[in-house]
Amino acid sequence: MENGRISASQMALMMYPVVTGTGIIFIPSLTANAAGNDMWLSPVWAASAGWIAIFTALHLHRLNPNQTIIQYSERLLGKFLGKVVSLVLLFFYLVMNGGGVRIYSDFVTGSFFEETPTYIIVSSMMLLSAFAVRGGVEVIGRTAEMLTPIYILFLLLVFLLILPDLRPENALPMLENGFTPSLKGAYTPQSWFAEFFVIAFLIPYVKKEKTAARWGVISLIAVTLTFTATNLAVLFLLGEDVTAKLNYPLLDAIQYISIAEFLQHLESIVMAIWVAGAFVKFTVIQYAIVLGTAQVFELTDYKALVFPLSFLTVLFSFWGIVGEADSTYHSSTVFPLTSLIMQTLLPLGLLLISYFQKKTGLFPR
Amino acid sequence: MKLRRRKYIEKQAKQHTLQESNVPSDNKSLSDQLTDNKEELKKLYANCSDVVFRSFFLNGKEDALLVYIDGLTQVEEIDDNVLAPLMKKTYAEQGSVRELLKKKVAVASVTEVETYTNCVSEISVGNPVVILEGSSTGFSLGLAKPETRAISEPSSESVVRGPREGFVESLHVNRALLRRKIRSPQLKMETIEIGTYTKTTVIISYVSGLADETLIKEVRNRVARVEIDGVLDSGVLEEFIEDYPYSPFPQVLTTERPDVAAGSLLEGRVVILVDGTPFVMIAPVSLYSFLQASEDYYMRFIMSTLIRWLRYAFLVISLLLPSFYVAVITFHQEMVPTALLISMAASREQLPFPALIEALIMEVTFEALREAGIRLPKQIGAAVSIVGALVIGESAVTAGIVSAPMVIVVALTGIASFTIPRYSQAIALRMLRFPMIILAGTLGILGIMLGIIAIVIHLSTLRSFGVPYLSPMAPMKSGEMKDTLARAPWWKLNARPHFTGAYNEHRQSASQKPNPGKGEE
Repeated sequence: MENGRISASQMALMMYPVVTGTGIIFIPSLTANAAGNDMWLSPVWAASAGWIAIFTALHLHRLNPNQTIIQYSERLLGKFLGKVVSLVLLFFYLVMNGGGVRIYSDFVTGSFFEETPTYIIVSSMMLLSAFAVRGGVEVIGRTAEMLTPIYILFLLLVFLLILPDLRPENALPMLENGFTPSLKGAYTPQSWFAEFFVIAFLIPYVKKEKTAARWGVISLIAVTLTFTATNLAVLFLLGEDVTAKLNYPLLDAIQYISIAEFLQHLESIVMAIWVAGAFVKFTVIQYAIVLGTAQVFELTDYKALVFPLSFLTVLFSFWGIVGEADSTYHSSTVFPLTSLIMQTLLPLGLLLISYFQKKTGLFPR
Repeated sequence: MKLRRRKYIEKQAKQHTLQESNVPSDNKSLSDQLTDNKEELKKLYANCSDVVFRSFFLNGKEDALLVYIDGLTQVEEIDDNVLAPLMKKTYAEQGSVRELLKKKVAVASVTEVETYTNCVSEISVGNPVVILEGSSTGFSLGLAKPETRAISEPSSESVVRGPREGFVESLHVNRALLRRKIRSPQLKMETIEIGTYTKTTVIISYVSGLADETLIKEVRNRVARVEIDGVLDSGVLEEFIEDYPYSPFPQVLTTERPDVAAGSLLEGRVVILVDGTPFVMIAPVSLYSFLQASEDYYMRFIMSTLIRWLRYAFLVISLLLPSFYVAVITFHQEMVPTALLISMAASREQLPFPALIEALIMEVTFEALREAGIRLPKQIGAAVSIVGALVIGESAVTAGIVSAPMVIVVALTGIASFTIPRYSQAIALRMLRFPMIILAGTLGILGIMLGIIAIVIHLSTLRSFGVPYLSPMAPMKSGEMKDTLARAPWWKLNARPHFTGAYNEHRQSASQKPNPGKGEE
């Protein structure tokens, strides 16, 4: 069905925006609410979800070579149960991507284009990602290879430019109440890290599979560093109280940038670059949804599904989400739990069954 | 639906072959009666006043016929070396005619022709054909007159340093120019004839051992597939052999310079030469091939690298500057430093148009001026540029139709698009500027970003003869970066760029970095 092949480094460049795409604007505020001035430590704890995701995806792939999760879940659980589990997982991703696109459009309309209707922002993005998904995994890989480095460079540039305004004393007193607050703060970001499980859809198409583990880990470490740096920057700049009250603390941090009275108000440009990262995120997940759906229904080609499923994602960005506040609430309560079930516990269960099957040979092939 | 389409195509093909029915079928061979041959050829060349039929007596008694096209053949040579020795002397010994021709006709190339098709093709190239009574074999003499203009510097790719010769319209000169650069017998030149009526010679050239076998096969197949009335320029052929016919981006590089063609051959690319045009095609290419000039490799590498960066920067400017300006003026005024914003606002105060319309008007005017400048005779071209500079630049601002900053933006964009060394790529980016301006005028910087993403998706999809258009950036080939992001010194460019696989990897021996100490070795 998919004839394209990507390199492991392309996979890493695809996964980096998948996690940071929406996380980078949301996580500082969510972690500040829960962890106070220990918020910078939360991503490090939360990264364990990422480690588990990569570990399970890699091991599942090793036990079930050249198959995506949709294909081997059917083999491990039996035809009916496997299809049901696959559909539930795909539904979870559909809701997640819809929610992600909603976060993106709320951010863009809320901060930049107040008059522009949300559906214009959502549908233009999903149209683009549909074009990329139609091109297959190779095209997505190359697009990520062109866009993600620019995205990373701009993030680094932002960190560099706000350096003069940082006040490290904002982080004091450190670990005042022990590790509990930062662990509590890790509950929300773990769901973003768990999105690393999307590589279960990509590994079968990676050229040198052995390098996939290394590049997956590189990507995960880069994401952890990014979230930690973002939280540190926001904390140093704004302090915990302000950060917790703001919706998009990083955006406000960027507005602090003023160099030589010329480089100022860069937020529109940073927003545009961030859009490129968000695009990669939505496209990769949309690809997983489209490919997975085609595999559940055992179609010969997934191209016919691209536009209907993209349209469905547009709908899911409106259904059940009343407004920006609702979206935030959803991201901090519902999503972490469903993500924990679907992206961490379900794969671990599959892995257990897979091990058991290999040891005993009890389950049917 | 598909069946109907196939029937339609078959019908078309049948009609196409019917139309050329007065050309004899492929393998009808010459008759051994000279009168028959003469009649058949006369019938083929009915109403062709430029075809000359000359009957003469060989050896005083045997009938013979000479056919050639006036203007394509060296008539003096025929007189001196063919007709004179054959007609004037009488030969005592009676050998075969073939031996006679071998002995008495002082012409370098003599080939036998046995069918009418061969006969006609030889005549139409300019080679006179001699047919003798009682023989069903004609002789074609290689006396075609090479009509060619002098080799001159190509005007579309001028250089400060580097060879100044350019391809011309004659294929055999172009072929020789290439052969003069690469003398190895490994340089192969395969000939294919294309065009039902024009019979244009097309040469597929490659260095065997450097070019990938599958690539050569693919090029051969794609070129051989073309069935058309006539090929008048390589551009006609280009549209038949591209990978993505609907893309605005060129997927084949055209050049007038033998050194560029030879350089590409040495990198394992395939060069396609078409008779009648100085533009040869090079494939496969990537986006970055269009941003490199031949001079990059002749200048000092530091300068070349800097100039490449300049080109990359101006590529972005030529695509984005007007749309960025429109976006900033319309949506993101806060980004402009206050002092500049005040002066910009003052210059826009009296304007009747929003920035989007203003930009579109100016850009269209600029494109029109550019086009007029190319098409007009050189004497009038100067007048156009004066009118353009005065009317568009000065009066439009004074009259309050456009603002002065907009004129600067458009002028800078124009200059930027001329820094791209390849016209076909520059024009593609110029056309994409217009949708970008509209996106910027409606969605601001977000619109520009969406436009860029769309372009990147398209470029990621593109391939040129199977090679990804964005390589070596995406998919990343770190070894080829030093000739893409920079221009590494020649003694560092040890590995050949590879498009499909790894073979014949090194193009020079390693560690040749010059060093005074090495003189003693």
